[in-house]
Amino acid sequence: MFFRFGGAIVLAVLISLTGVGLEKRNLELRRAVSQQEYQRELLVERQARVRAETQKLGAPPRLLEALEAGKLRMREVEQPIMPKSKSKTRKRGAA
Amino acid sequence: MELANSTASSSDARWRTRLIIGLLLAVWMVLSGRLVMLQFIDSEQLRKLAERQRTIREVVPARPGEIVDRDGRVLAETIRVSSIYVVPNRIDDGWEIAQQLADSLKIDRDALFERLAVHPERQFQWVKRRLTDEEVVRVRELDLPVGSWGFRDEYLRQYPQGSLAAQVLGTRDIDGLGRGGIESSFDRTLRGDDGYRELECDARGRVIDINARTDRPPRHGQSVMLTIDSILQLYAERAMDESFEKWKPKSCAAAVMDAKTGELLALASRPTFDPNQPGNAPPDAWTNRLLADMYEPGSTFKPFIVAWALKHDVIQREEIFNCENGVYRMGRRMLKDFRPHGNLNVVDILVKSSNIGMAKIGERLGNPRLHEAAVTFGFGAKTGIELPGEVSGRLLPLKKWTSYSTGSIPMGQEIAVTPIQLLAAYGALSNGGQLVTPHVVRRDEASPRNEPAIFTSQAVSPEIAEWVRIHALREVVKRGTGKKSDLAGFRVFGKTGTSQKLDPVTGGYSHDRHVNSFVCGAPAEDPRVLVIVVVDEPHGGPGEHLGGIVAAPIAADILHKALLHLGVTPDGTTLQSAEKVSDDTIIE
Repeated sequence: MFFRFGGAIVLAVLISLTGVGLEKRNLELRRAVSQQEYQRELLVERQARVRAETQKLGAPPRLLEALEAGKLRMREVEQPIMPKSKSKTRKRGAA
Repeated sequence: MELANSTASSSDARWRTRLIIGLLLAVWMVLSGRLVMLQFIDSEQLRKLAERQRTIREVVPARPGEIVDRDGRVLAETIRVSSIYVVPNRIDDGWEIAQQLADSLKIDRDALFERLAVHPERQFQWVKRRLTDEEVVRVRELDLPVGSWGFRDEYLRQYPQGSLAAQVLGTRDIDGLGRGGIESSFDRTLRGDDGYRELECDARGRVIDINARTDRPPRHGQSVMLTIDSILQLYAERAMDESFEKWKPKSCAAAVMDAKTGELLALASRPTFDPNQPGNAPPDAWTNRLLADMYEPGSTFKPFIVAWALKHDVIQREEIFNCENGVYRMGRRMLKDFRPHGNLNVVDILVKSSNIGMAKIGERLGNPRLHEAAVTFGFGAKTGIELPGEVSGRLLPLKKWTSYSTGSIPMGQEIAVTPIQLLAAYGALSNGGQLVTPHVVRRDEASPRNEPAIFTSQAVSPEIAEWVRIHALREVVKRGTGKKSDLAGFRVFGKTGTSQKLDPVTGGYSHDRHVNSFVCGAPAEDPRVLVIVVVDEPHGGPGEHLGGIVAAPIAADILHKALLHLGVTPDGTTLQSAEKVSDDTIIE
């Protein structure tokens, strides 16, 4: 009788502990997901800012006059995007 | 006696007992009734009240999509910034807070204090929206009382290319709604749909959990790719700046269009504004002159009448017309040419821009066919371009036309067109007679087909279009009014236009207020690109009333740069992508 009662108590405690453990793990995972979500938002935001900044720095209205005045020069990239072999480098739109 | 007393006291006790039981029953019934009310009658309302106190629904704003040009250069981008608010009913010393915030944010102290003081009971009051990073740091350093203020994230639209294509892009207002240009016409696509999430709070309003089951994530805005080429746009904008400087007009505009596809590569208009600072824009800078301004096309309209007359066989290509030495009576009306001409063939009528020659062609066509020609080439109706604010020009119904119209319409009077209509109509002459909807959107991610709806219609046969282009319009540039637009090595075709504006005082044509225009394209045999330039009321030099003097050189400059940029060589061939100056070069 005593063992049965004791066994039932232990079983109940074990089930409760497992439940608590699972709940804890669930909360940990939710926290991790939430943090990753937050990190993702931050990275998207940073990407947008960097993109806006690079576009601003490389904007044609900012560069074209300097290019035409010869203050900047363009050079070919090492691996051309276009497959053609003999690409010439010259100023865009130069008359 | 004792028995009587005992009976009376027992009766009192019973009465008291009954009274107490009755009272208890009454209390119990009141409580039960209240419980029934709470549990059954008011339950829904109370449940909602409890829910409201326990949960907060927070809007998760959607990030507006990008606008990019045809090469992927970003024209409009969105970043997240902070806006600051205060809670007036939690502020004890309004002046102190107003002073500190105003100094940090460089706003007027008194105005801020007044805003706080007018509604001290409020829970929310914006102080300044869309702060810079430096302003955020300065506000944090103030260490203001907790609970009396806060930051809220908002999106800020940025235009990295500055004022480039400002009227095409439009802008977004402080609430994130599109105003003007693509921002307005593609607002739904770009804006997306806000989401929300439910936060569970404790009794003090602190967030304790996020209810993930009821979350609705935002659907962020989608990107729109334009047909605009930023480099060509810049060339057009610079030409407009120079023209504005030189001729001091009321306004001027230029557009570059792909002759085959109807894709608009550049749309520039002056005056303009910087969409990053819309508050500084002059009122007339918002108007896209290419769509919203209309004017009498003058001589630029003549080629369509010639093409229509050829289509209906009322004239022959080599036919000679007597231009009456510059004076011709047409009914009650006396027509005059700018310079007197004798006999001219059809090409020379266009080259010399003879009004009398055109009036005679108009007489042969008659009003119904003249009206039909205008309608077929798309005049009097909106082109369908994706930008807001387009007007349909002015083409009176045929029943309102008179015998005057027979002489006026062929010389481009009595009709008002927008520059974009005119460019689209020249597109038909450059594209085998096919009229194509001019468009500015190349790819719309929200559209099921991911591409714009473009309509085409055959205005005239390819042979007629080619003859008008190569034989007539090419000659206009070689030896006619458009000589200033001839480019060495390129076979340019075009037509000048000068129209007098109406004088609001006399009601007649003004002698000193003109609209000068020029439409041109190249190469004549297989046109690649078309350019239109319109200058409204130029002042500042000899020939200010002539399209060939004012508009033609500007258009030629833009056309030359466009041809080189697109890799069209003087011999008319097009370079391969890798050979032309392209993005496979980097700047050092």
